Amino acid sequence: MSAPSPLSPAALGPHTLLYRYSQDARWGLAVVRATVLEAAHPQIGAALIDNSTFMAHPWRRMRNTLDSVRRMLDADEEVRVREAARLNRLHRRISGTDGQGRPYSALDPEARAWVMATLFESTVTLSRLSGESLDGAAMRRLYGDFRAILALIEGDADALPATPAEFWPYYDGMIAGGLENTEALQIVLYRLFAQVPAPPLLRGRPAVWAVGRAVAAPVATAVIVGSLPEAFRRQAGLGEVPGAQVLSRGVHVGTGLATRLLPSSWTRTDTMLGLLDPGRADLGPNPVSSLRGRAGRAAALLRLVAPLPRESAAERSADRFFAEVLDQTGDGHLDWPDLAAMAREIATRLDLDEQHEDRLYEAYAGWWRELLAALDADGDGRVTRQEYAAAASSLAGPALIRVAEVLFDVADKDGDRTISAAEHQALFRTAFTRDVNAERDRYTPGEFVRDFLAFMSGRQASAAYDSLLTQA
Amino acid sequence: MSSVGVPRHVACVMDGNGRWAALRSRPRTDGHRAAEAAVIDVIEAARGAGVQWLSLYAFSTENWSRPGGEVDFLMRLVRGTLRRHAPVLHARGIRCRFLGVAYPRIPPGLARDIADLMELTGGNRRMTLTVAFDHGGRRDIVEAARSLIRGRVRAEDVTEASFARYLPYPDTPDVDLVIRTSGEQRISNFMLWQVAYAEWIFPSVLWPDFRAAHFWECLDTYRRRQRRFGGVPAPAALERGHR
Repeated sequence: MSAPSPLSPAALGPHTLLYRYSQDARWGLAVVRATVLEAAHPQIGAALIDNSTFMAHPWRRMRNTLDSVRRMLDADEEVRVREAARLNRLHRRISGTDGQGRPYSALDPEARAWVMATLFESTVTLSRLSGESLDGAAMRRLYGDFRAILALIEGDADALPATPAEFWPYYDGMIAGGLENTEALQIVLYRLFAQVPAPPLLRGRPAVWAVGRAVAAPVATAVIVGSLPEAFRRQAGLGEVPGAQVLSRGVHVGTGLATRLLPSSWTRTDTMLGLLDPGRADLGPNPVSSLRGRAGRAAALLRLVAPLPRESAAERSADRFFAEVLDQTGDGHLDWPDLAAMAREIATRLDLDEQHEDRLYEAYAGWWRELLAALDADGDGRVTRQEYAAAASSLAGPALIRVAEVLFDVADKDGDRTISAAEHQALFRTAFTRDVNAERDRYTPGEFVRDFLAFMSGRQASAAYDSLLTQA
Repeated sequence: MSSVGVPRHVACVMDGNGRWAALRSRPRTDGHRAAEAAVIDVIEAARGAGVQWLSLYAFSTENWSRPGGEVDFLMRLVRGTLRRHAPVLHARGIRCRFLGVAYPRIPPGLARDIADLMELTGGNRRMTLTVAFDHGGRRDIVEAARSLIRGRVRAEDVTEASFARYLPYPDTPDVDLVIRTSGEQRISNFMLWQVAYAEWIFPSVLWPDFRAAHFWECLDTYRRRQRRFGGVPAPAALERGHR
């Protein structure tokens, strides 16, 4: 292993310890646990409450997080730097004031350092609980990886202590005095797990999901809570769950054993993501593709034999459209963060550069102004479900057409004024047809705008747009 | 080929559902529903007889002009049939494919199930079942011509064999035998390219009444015709050999 400056972007890549963790499906649990600790940070909590789509679309949010980590650990330095720049642009759009009038910003160095700190600590803790404690050298390496990521997005890693030895006092200090019992924390702990929507695989089978969730949600909560530092639990008013720590340890040891006993490819993050989101075809060639084929076939069979969901009409009610598509943050009303979340999802998926991203956001901002003017009857700066229902038909104004045009432009990577099969695939993760003649269909601007409007005005459900904006 | 005289590729034009229902003074939709049993019977009979490729002509592009209610019903029926029989088809080693599934017109739920069924059975090799669904033979040819032009293939390089590679599912062999039920004797824009050298049989039985026994009878007729012209393979058969 060569030793470039430990904080230079060259220090990251597939050789890092963090890369190995991020490939292990169990790491998803660490990410969820870290989210709990992050939500208790006043700035992050406020940003989550106002802007995040994790309540309404937790699976998508998790997938995006793992994608982002994957890109920041890519073998190609250009990919890593590009991802950091994209993340910074995304965070620059997230700022405001919290319920107590304190300003927050997703660019705040302290807050970003806390994100890295919680991820590091969660990785270490979950390793320990599953019986694979990191030794001193490994811990130093892993900590170095997180600092390098912070340096990549922040320019320096000064907000995190230099060594693990200095880290633990910082962490304990934060737990003791830097966190609050925020609204976001309450929501993550008590609502997210209990209400998490079905992953794409089980959509359309709400009964199966509800039963599974009724069992899994309390267990997940107990497992996560049981692994949190005691000082934190006390402060957040998280009572002692009898047996939670035993259960927590049991689950972690169990997953640890499963990881060792199952073929390694089964427990990889990619495989899990492939199972959760079977429509996805962009994970690239890798040794587990044959397994994913098998998992894909199993998922296909499962979907085919499961009873049909009752609603099969292409028309969806205005109410459902509001909840599934428009209200991205899941707070029951429509405001700018909802539309910004749509722009963000599209920009993330297409990996847009700054110029295209700005155009897309501007188009969405224009649509937001149009919506406010047309639908916000009481002038409170947001659109309620009732206001939307009263005037849903006027949704397709010129600004929405503008959104469709910009979306077409940014999706048309080669600028030939048609959306090819490959471009369609990049945007919607599905091809138009599953025929072998991949180039047989092309989207013209007119067709594209028409389909987009039909979807956005709630007149027509579309598998393609559902995969982009609806799926949890 | 497994057994002598068995056609490699059999195609069925499933005609007569409407008349079957009319004869019984029942709505047309009942005829479609009754067709399901025939479909399953024929698939089983073909597999048992050693046919390697079976194509069913289910729904043509022209059918979209039928009354909306009937189209909706057909879509639901196809979806239900497909879902009911998916595990069995897979267990029997049948690879399922759908020809001409133009994306936007098919309801999303059905499109999803079709994709699932194709994924589930994609690795099977015992028999390939191609369902010509929303299919038009001319459209396939036009599409193939378009992709040739887009691919900037030189005119001299276009031969019958190379052209066929631009058709959907280019690994599909030519059709050897077409069975069109209900006595109708038309091609109706069905797999135009692939039926060029096919034998045609027109049993008078309506599709909902068509059963394995009828299918075997057709195979027998085909075998007798082959014997009559047999011995020396027809030039067409030579042509087919390297496709």
